[in-house]
Amino acid sequence: MVTEEQIEHVSKLMKIDIDDHKEYVDKVQAMIDYFDVLDSADVESEEISMQEITISNLREDKYVPFNEKLIDKLNNYKGTYVRAPKMS
Amino acid sequence: MNLKISALEFVQQVQNGNISAEDFVAKTLERIQSIDDKLHAFLFVNEKAIDQARDIDKKIKSGSKVGACFGMPISIKDNMCIKDSKTTCASKMLENFVAPYDATVITKLKEQDAVFVGKVNLDEFAMGLTTEFSAFGSSKNPWNTEYVPGGSSGGSAVSVSAFECVASLGSDTGGSVRNPASFCSVVGYKPTYGLISRYGLISYSNSIEQIGPLTRTVKDTAFMLNIISGLDPNDNTTIDNKNEDYLSGIDSGIEGKKIGIIQEMVGEGTDPTVLSATKDAISKLENLGATCEDVSLDMVKYSVAAYYTITATEAGSNLARYDNLRYGYDFSVEGYEFNSYIAKARRNFGPEVKRRMIIGGFVPSAGHAGKYFLKAIKVKSKLTREINEAFKKFDLLIAPTVPILPFKIGEKINDPVSLFLIDINTVTANLTGKPSISVPFTISNGLPIGIQLLADSMNDKLLLQAAYALEQTITLQEVPI
Amino acid sequence: MTKIGLEIHCQLTNLKSKLFCSCKANYREFEINENICPICMGLPGSLPRLNQEAVKKATMIAMALNCTTPDKIAFFRKNYFYPDLPKNFQITQLNIYGETSIGGTGSIIVGDKKIRITRIQLEEDPGRLIYEGSSSKNLITLVDYNRAGTPLVEIVTEPDFENPKQVRDFVNILSDLLENLEVSDPGLDGAMRSDANVSIEGGNKVEIKNIGSFHDLEKAVHFEITRQESLNSRDIQIIQETRHWDDKRKITVSSRSKEEDLDYRYFLEGDIPWIIIDPKTKENLKSNMPESISSKKERYVSKYNIPTQVATVLSSDKFYSDLFEESHTEVTAKEIANIITTDLMGLIDTREKRKESKITATHLKDLADSIQSGKISRNSAKNALYEIVKTGKNLSKVMSELDLGNVSDESELLGIIKAVIFEELKAVEEAKSNPQTINYLVGKVMQKTKGKADPKLTLDLLKKQLK
Repeated sequence: MVTEEQIEHVSKLMKIDIDDHKEYVDKVQAMIDYFDVLDSADVESEEISMQEITISNLREDKYVPFNEKLIDKLNNYKGTYVRAPKMS
Repeated sequence: MNLKISALEFVQQVQNGNISAEDFVAKTLERIQSIDDKLHAFLFVNEKAIDQARDIDKKIKSGSKVGACFGMPISIKDNMCIKDSKTTCASKMLENFVAPYDATVITKLKEQDAVFVGKVNLDEFAMGLTTEFSAFGSSKNPWNTEYVPGGSSGGSAVSVSAFECVASLGSDTGGSVRNPASFCSVVGYKPTYGLISRYGLISYSNSIEQIGPLTRTVKDTAFMLNIISGLDPNDNTTIDNKNEDYLSGIDSGIEGKKIGIIQEMVGEGTDPTVLSATKDAISKLENLGATCEDVSLDMVKYSVAAYYTITATEAGSNLARYDNLRYGYDFSVEGYEFNSYIAKARRNFGPEVKRRMIIGGFVPSAGHAGKYFLKAIKVKSKLTREINEAFKKFDLLIAPTVPILPFKIGEKINDPVSLFLIDINTVTANLTGKPSISVPFTISNGLPIGIQLLADSMNDKLLLQAAYALEQTITLQEVPI
Repeated sequence: MTKIGLEIHCQLTNLKSKLFCSCKANYREFEINENICPICMGLPGSLPRLNQEAVKKATMIAMALNCTTPDKIAFFRKNYFYPDLPKNFQITQLNIYGETSIGGTGSIIVGDKKIRITRIQLEEDPGRLIYEGSSSKNLITLVDYNRAGTPLVEIVTEPDFENPKQVRDFVNILSDLLENLEVSDPGLDGAMRSDANVSIEGGNKVEIKNIGSFHDLEKAVHFEITRQESLNSRDIQIIQETRHWDDKRKITVSSRSKEEDLDYRYFLEGDIPWIIIDPKTKENLKSNMPESISSKKERYVSKYNIPTQVATVLSSDKFYSDLFEESHTEVTAKEIANIITTDLMGLIDTREKRKESKITATHLKDLADSIQSGKISRNSAKNALYEIVKTGKNLSKVMSELDLGNVSDESELLGIIKAVIFEELKAVEEAKSNPQTINYLVGKVMQKTKGKADPKLTLDLLKKQLK
């Protein structure tokens, strides 16, 4: 059973502001509580499998500049830097 | 001019000189103009489409080499990057984002002279099953505009079903291509994981999602797959399909093939009409020479919980980059401190995305990861083992694509868990990486039902053969729009 | 019992491209935000493309530090928000599903202490934050992403260091080792940074971050030990926390950020499959590794009879050991080692001077040959060296232009010797009874010839004259 405090804590971590508190929290609680069904899955001894590739398939170490001036197409400050908010 | 033709028919007609690409594309744009107000499949329409088609006609006339698409009009789900076009993921967070590069699938289609008529609607950041979570309004099912078209690739399914394009590319994370295909009565395909490059697909849950075509016929899907699949150095998770030709031998039939009926997907919770359609499909397949038997995949009952746990975790991470600093929408940092700016900027996410972000922060967090996230990836592993076992005995697996019929807009939007469960038949293919297709099978009381087939990894060719065989036994109604 | 551990970050500056894209690995020559692409900017839809050479070089580093290397490596996401992190997660390595980092446990000897390595990981560097404006009120935070995605190797040690000096020695050894492996140029600004953790008397561990240079590392560690000792002596508990190094005030300061909220939610990076590093690749890497510093040193001592002190200094400096390797022969090895360590190192003592220096292996070869054959005295050799470093002219030219050649013409020398004998009658008398005085006379001849007299010839001729 996930609590309202836990949900608030996580929303700060994820930098998500929650409005309409109660309704919101109720829905998130319901969703997470549904996952309790995983408790009865007998998977303790299961190994995790992953895709594999060999080192020879990896990208060759070569300098290839991007073919345009990318910063012009993004938010920029005086054409060069990206501006960030004040860091505390 | 008849717009109600398949992609292959279009190609043939253009090659024969019966129609010109320009005329067809112009007619398509007219169609979009006249009906899309009702359907809202399109977020952006490409005004230059007719010019582009005309250029291709010129190429054809001059006898120079023309790509396999011959100017066919294709719609693209708005979570794939087309260079210098807006790519919004149906979100206010990316309202002003213009992609500076083409997705690999776009590059490949451009090389084959496809014409993109526009970007189509989706659930915001592909999170949803009905397209109701789009920040720019829901799309409508062309079979009955009071009903949902399915999701998240709702715009793709609608545009193909309503003849607003000849084919579409969507993305499938938990059924997002197959589900709307089933609800709108078109073919929807999710390939083996790694068959189609995800470079340029805006990530939601990168370890399980794939781009997939939506078309009117199975052969059209094979045609699209031939163009967009294959190893891509820009995507380290792609696999080498050795330039397999998915069209050749597609009519080989399924004589002698063994098909497993997934018990957990035809049991309690399945609408009786859907169940009876499934039984009908099974007997049709048996008449074609296949043998069908029951099979059980025990982990299916945990698959939805595992799916949402894993996807929320990955989404929480994949969407962290949207802090509006480098791109996004107009909102200056002036006067703001870091934490408050980011939290405020991310208010532009819709409510469902926000919910998934919070879940995605919770389930892998220290202290909870063991109960949720780690459990979920172990369920994924065990389900994969179970389905691999099944494929030792069976060539294919079958189940209804969606356990229920399409429902009305607004009907399920406030009940997130019941919405989750609509995915129960489709997430297995995503979690296990297996290819899966939804074939439009029948219409019941004006609402479409699709049948789903699955094959083992890299057996996409066999899967298409089976789907084609099934499709040939059906004559579908025409969409009433 | 002081315990210090380090987390050192080394950029692989010798690579051509970044860890996950083809932008340049060494970003220093670029204008702001000119070394970026959709991948290192984390643009929507971009995917990482792992650099093959980075994996190889990092494996080599692990081998050089005697670490275990796994058969398969994996990458993970470390999730947190910061403006210098374009994706708001860093792709890094961890060992949660078995050993999947590029290097496992290893060790390195520092003086008489064995420092254990916990693990080595391959990861990407974030961008850089710059502040514009004067007062803290209107400070503008700006970000340059040129560095984002630069390949980093993080070396984590056990808390085996006992004092700041050991830390300094280790860092020097590590820099030399990395330069010798040809994976990184540690002298480049920002190429090597380190965090530290410090505890005393078995108390709580304090982490120190934001240490800008290795110079500051020793200071920061020293400050922290002092701070903790002071608290201890007043029976005040040392809190387990993260502090950051304040470069201006030269102190560690408690990080007031809500560190308790930091939860990195580590999970596998789904865009990068596990990489199989097969035995053959490892073998190739091992056999192609440049000779280690300790191996060179041993060879210098045992094969060429070079004194240990000289061998230590020479082998640990790649710039000079390369010169040595290229120029020496069995016969001239000791001489060249001497020239380098005694004279050359003092002449070329900064990065800029190394860049500008015009000396080559050929120069050294010629110089050593000439000294040994008596053509030039060691003293004059010093002057020749100075000129060569500055101009690059060959030795014979320099010798003739500056008149540095030894006076080895017998008749010329005899004339000078006779002059000295004439001037130093008293010494000459003494020399008949005290043979040591002859050195004084040799010295006088050297004086007269400004050090250019062939000392051996001078001695012989003098002896003959005195009979």
